[in-house]
Amino acid sequence: MTPTNQDPNLLEEALRNALRREEAPDGFMDNVLARRAKQESPAQARRSQWFSLFSQPFVRWAAFAAVSICLVFGGVHYRNLQRERARGEAAKQQLMLALRIAGNKLQLAKEKVHGINQPQPPKTTPARSRS
Amino acid sequence: MTVAMPARLPADDPETAGADFPEIVRRYQSMVFSIALHFLADRGAAEELAQDVFLQLHGTLPTLQSEEHVKFWLRKVTAHRCIDHKRRRKLPQLSLEDAPEPLAPARTEDPLLAKRLRQFVGSLPEKPRLVIILRYQEDMLPEDIAAVLSMPVATVKSHLQRSLAVLRDKVTRTMGEVTL
Repeated sequence: MTPTNQDPNLLEEALRNALRREEAPDGFMDNVLARRAKQESPAQARRSQWFSLFSQPFVRWAAFAAVSICLVFGGVHYRNLQRERARGEAAKQQLMLALRIAGNKLQLAKEKVHGINQPQPPKTTPARSRS
Repeated sequence: MTVAMPARLPADDPETAGADFPEIVRRYQSMVFSIALHFLADRGAAEELAQDVFLQLHGTLPTLQSEEHVKFWLRKVTAHRCIDHKRRRKLPQLSLEDAPEPLAPARTEDPLLAKRLRQFVGSLPEKPRLVIILRYQEDMLPEDIAAVLSMPVATVKSHLQRSLAVLRDKVTRTMGEVTL
């Protein structure tokens, strides 16, 4: 049995000693800042290039025209879609009505056929009065 | 450290937050690096991981409200990155057979005992290892460790008890009689 085994405080003290904070390596902060700058610079460059494009009036107008054309074509396309959908709905309603009528006619015919095929009940003679 | 830090970080001002960043790195670099080093037992990997943590912090800094929040965030992210790093790299567990034999009886302040203990801590499973590091490096309470590692307090206490028992057993078996 070691003293660390006998006394839990000694083991904890030894652990605190073993796991003391260590200084970060030399130049750690400089490396972090350098990496941050490196990460930021391409993104910033891309962003500034992107925004500088829109500083030219021609590009601004072209972008505006492109957006307008997209909106107009999008609107027309949407309207066509709506019309086609309405036409489809009307056709569906007509088809349903036709099917319903056909179904009724079929039912009538079936009842008639059923009536013809059924045997006639024997005719009953009315009882004579003896008086 | 005696450098005063505002209790509330200038969250809404990215420029001021950017200006605070080097001070935050300077203040917490030792904490983050040491957690990573004690977990990974690899200085190069620990330095890289600590740098990654601070780079991530830079993007998150405007959302952190206070110094305590920054500290909590750093510990949490470092802990999770350590586990991720370990799972990605599949570092081999340090076995007792790999540890060198002690040359002489050790004392608590003895670097040999400290080295052995670090090796034993390094041989613990991931979560218990982090619990031990946060408890004895950062002197954190089980409740705080539970918050950082997103686990119940009872689990933290259980990890602590079991890990201490394992460490005590390893010290006994490999170090023999230790004069403290």
